[in-house]
Amino acid sequence: MAATTTDTGREPGVSGGADRSGGPRRREMSETTLGKVFVAPAILLMALVALFPILYAMVLSLQAYTGRQNQGWAGLDNYVEALTNDRFWTALQFTIVFTVTSVAAEFLIGLGFALLMNQAFRGRGVTRASILVPWVIPTVIAAQMWFFMFNVTPGFINNVFGLGDFSWLGQSGWASFAVIFADVWKTAPFVALLLLAGLQTIPGDVYEGARVDGAGMFQRFWYITLPLLKPAILVALLFRTVEALRVYDLPQVMTGGAFNTESLSILVQQYVVRTPDPGLGSALSTITFIFILGVGMVFVRFLGKELVIGEEGR
Amino acid sequence: MSRKWSRGRWAAAGALSLVAVAACTPGGGDGDGGEGGGEMVWALGGSEAQPGRVHQQVAELWSEQNPDNPIRIEILPDEADQQREQQALELQAEGSNFDVLGVDVIWTGEYSTNGWVESLEDVRAEIEEVSIPGAVESATWGGELWVAPYNSNAGFLYYRTDLIDEPPTTWDELCEMAIEAGQQEDIGGFIGQGSRYEGFVVNWLEYYWSDGGELYNEDQSEVVFDTDTATQVTEWLADAKESGCLAPGFNTATEEEARNLFQSGDAVFMRNWPYAYSLIQDDQQSPVRENFGIAPLPTFSGEGTISALGGFNNAVSAFSDNKEAAKEFVVWAATNEEVQALLATEASVPPTLESVYEDLSDDPVMALLGEVLPEAKPRPPAPQWNNISVEMQRNLFPAYNGEGDPADASQAVQEALEGAVEE
Repeated sequence: MAATTTDTGREPGVSGGADRSGGPRRREMSETTLGKVFVAPAILLMALVALFPILYAMVLSLQAYTGRQNQGWAGLDNYVEALTNDRFWTALQFTIVFTVTSVAAEFLIGLGFALLMNQAFRGRGVTRASILVPWVIPTVIAAQMWFFMFNVTPGFINNVFGLGDFSWLGQSGWASFAVIFADVWKTAPFVALLLLAGLQTIPGDVYEGARVDGAGMFQRFWYITLPLLKPAILVALLFRTVEALRVYDLPQVMTGGAFNTESLSILVQQYVVRTPDPGLGSALSTITFIFILGVGMVFVRFLGKELVIGEEGR
Repeated sequence: MSRKWSRGRWAAAGALSLVAVAACTPGGGDGDGGEGGGEMVWALGGSEAQPGRVHQQVAELWSEQNPDNPIRIEILPDEADQQREQQALELQAEGSNFDVLGVDVIWTGEYSTNGWVESLEDVRAEIEEVSIPGAVESATWGGELWVAPYNSNAGFLYYRTDLIDEPPTTWDELCEMAIEAGQQEDIGGFIGQGSRYEGFVVNWLEYYWSDGGELYNEDQSEVVFDTDTATQVTEWLADAKESGCLAPGFNTATEEEARNLFQSGDAVFMRNWPYAYSLIQDDQQSPVRENFGIAPLPTFSGEGTISALGGFNNAVSAFSDNKEAAKEFVVWAATNEEVQALLATEASVPPTLESVYEDLSDDPVMALLGEVLPEAKPRPPAPQWNNISVEMQRNLFPAYNGEGDPADASQAVQEALEGAVEE
């Protein structure tokens, strides 16, 4: 992006390049072809690494298994089995609740952190570094830590707040709360980091101009910060939503999926590893994949539009 | 590139990628190249497989005595599910990197059905004669011996000698004492493994078995699950939770949470494996280190005791290049007194050789194990055990936590057990 923000960068696209080179058309064509040839090995490698497992899982999802033994083709039986299973819907429900609440909370807290870190004040460097600490801790370790904090034994949280033997992880509702809380603690800094990067691209003179025009603090936030931050917000929400939808480690370590905290990924893991049925497991992971892909596409659509609009508006 | 790939080729590619993964395990894949002789690999996990610990000592002992076929341990992850997955990756690809496999007591059926392990029928008599019956049972599936017993495990009742004079013999008695002493001291009552995982199934089965229930008949061909008994047992546990007999945190506790609670003096009773004994005794900070005792687990009738059997056994991989030597090794590890005694004295890993318990009857843990193990029952080592266990966790766990109906839960368990027989 930064490289193209010259004068000609205003009109992106193929035509700009063609005007500049000004050479004969034939040469232009062959350059594109040559480019494709150069890119081909990389694309092939990526297809092999990224696409092959996905397609292979789809092939597996159409086969019947007893334990790990292949029993031939099954058509769509595995999908029917997955979609008619109560467990799938319970897991989907938890996954969606988890995603919506955790991403919303992470966004609000992350935005607050980002605005704070964007201010010039003494100790800003230390604040930035310390806010990022939770994000640096590996998730499994954070999950184990929060298990100790919430669990009755040793019960750090209960001790601090004088709650006695309140069983956070041992009852419905509160178990989900604890898992979501841990996720927010863990990844709000990540959102803050992405938003901070966005904030720093907003030029200071825009704010100065607004101040001269008599805009208050909230007006500046609402009419300048938010609209200009939109691309960064969408990127942050996209990353977090997609990641939250495939959550595995936090609920697995903290509750083992008890009290309706079983996520889709836990279910997939169970059918691939614990009670092996690679066909059903692959069907579940394909469904999860399509679901996440769909949500991701919606975001990308918005994101693409936003980026274009942002470009024109400048 | 346009060459069409047959299904066989795809399968081969898949298998290749599996081999590649298996070869990525630390230290794996250094082929010895030898046809008959050469170094063998023993794939097992857990803390006692670490350098210097007891399983390593056993391997060294064998290697000293058999310089032509020495054995080396390939250390697998700590968690049982992950060990199983590592072994499955190798065996699914018919890889010969592992010669001897440490097989958990509940995997016997799965491994034999998949054709991953060699039958040990020809050495059965030799092994059966000297081993604990429960351990042999856990090594048998479909009437055939597939693994050689190696180490065993059983549950104990830990109790506070400063609060309880005589350990209870029935579960109801245990609850009365737990509530009374717990209220007096303002501590929790009974702690066990109540979190939603395999350990809960083990605990629940101990209640169920001790009320006279069974899962399968002798040759495991027919379900004899008693839904009434199962419902009663689940209701008892739900009541125990309500009445405060169960310590707070029971339904999120695994072995370690239970031990921590008891060790810090916050519970009257604990159900746990023998490993906790020396850990509590050696903890200078623990207020209970001199005030606790061990007893057999209670039953509902007050007669006898029953415990679920744990531990793991050794199998010969069906894809080993060195099957003869591997078979000799597993038989040696099962029947050699020195090896089996080493397990008990070096690491408090309960051996499977009966005679060791007579020799070590001065040790309180071994003495109690000698009493409890003959009565211990293995979980059925069915190929579908994991499915059954998951269904039991999914249904019985909510039922005892007041989020499901105990009778419905029993029905679901019955169906899961029947589904496993039909397959």
